Amino acid sequence: MNTKKVILSAVLTAFALVAFVIESAMPPVVPIYGVKIGLANVFTLFALYALGKRSATAVLLIRVSLAAVFAGQAVSLFYSLTGGVLSLLLMISLKRFFPVKRLWALSVLSAVMHNIGQLTAAVILTSTPQILFYFPILVVSGIIAGAVTGLCAQLVLLRLKHIYDKNF
Amino acid sequence: MKNRGWIIVFASALIICAVWWLCITAFSSPAKTVGIYQNGELIEKIDLTTVTGEREIELSGEYGRNIVYISNGSIKMKSADCPDKICVKHGELESSGSPIVCLPNKVIIKFEDASEKIDAKAGAAG
Repeated sequence: MNTKKVILSAVLTAFALVAFVIESAMPPVVPIYGVKIGLANVFTLFALYALGKRSATAVLLIRVSLAAVFAGQAVSLFYSLTGGVLSLLLMISLKRFFPVKRLWALSVLSAVMHNIGQLTAAVILTSTPQILFYFPILVVSGIIAGAVTGLCAQLVLLRLKHIYDKNF
Repeated sequence: MKNRGWIIVFASALIICAVWWLCITAFSSPAKTVGIYQNGELIEKIDLTTVTGEREIELSGEYGRNIVYISNGSIKMKSADCPDKICVKHGELESSGSPIVCLPNKVIIKFEDASEKIDAKAGAAG
């Protein structure tokens, strides 16, 4: 990683953290744990496409750890890590099939994966398989949230292509 | 796959899951026996129709206390010490709705009879 990449990753992490804090200050749309837009993911997606998988991993892991500090809940760290790492692994492995123009589709897949990961973590942590009741609604929420965040990242990436293509 | 292909795939997945969700919330049978669970263990089973007047049940977990409130055949989470209070915002437990869940304190309040089979399986699994 060169200096430029390190600095840009740090800036993206800070942006992602701010997005997370703003989002968690908003009232939940639906009173179900795990149903949210996940704005912070826009920056992970951006890092993945503009800077590569190492930067994206750094942005995700640092943001998730710091977010747990801001949210003040160690238990949410476990849920976010399970969901975040699973969805990042999926994105890294499937990225080559998705050019920037179809980034939104990869984002939908990863958001659904994220919610499945969180649901599984919840089932294991509470040892209550009945939580699987929420599966369909979390898939619905993942598809919508993933499309929104994916489109955000995609539009920004397409407009900034001339900058990051030249520099990295 | 082109954009259109992905739109079709996701739209159909969205519709299937939305319909699935509507089915499980709309067709669950009206039940009146609720179970309060913490850490996956049954704390108390209550027939709401037998509770006269009001009743409060206090539960304590890793993130503080939860107070469950029962009156007039309905049950809700009255207060919780966790920061997001999703369980309190849930309001009264409805037979057609989803269980009241407090993930920080691992508390779940749900109707019993509708999912007896699932319970049996859960018990067998551990």
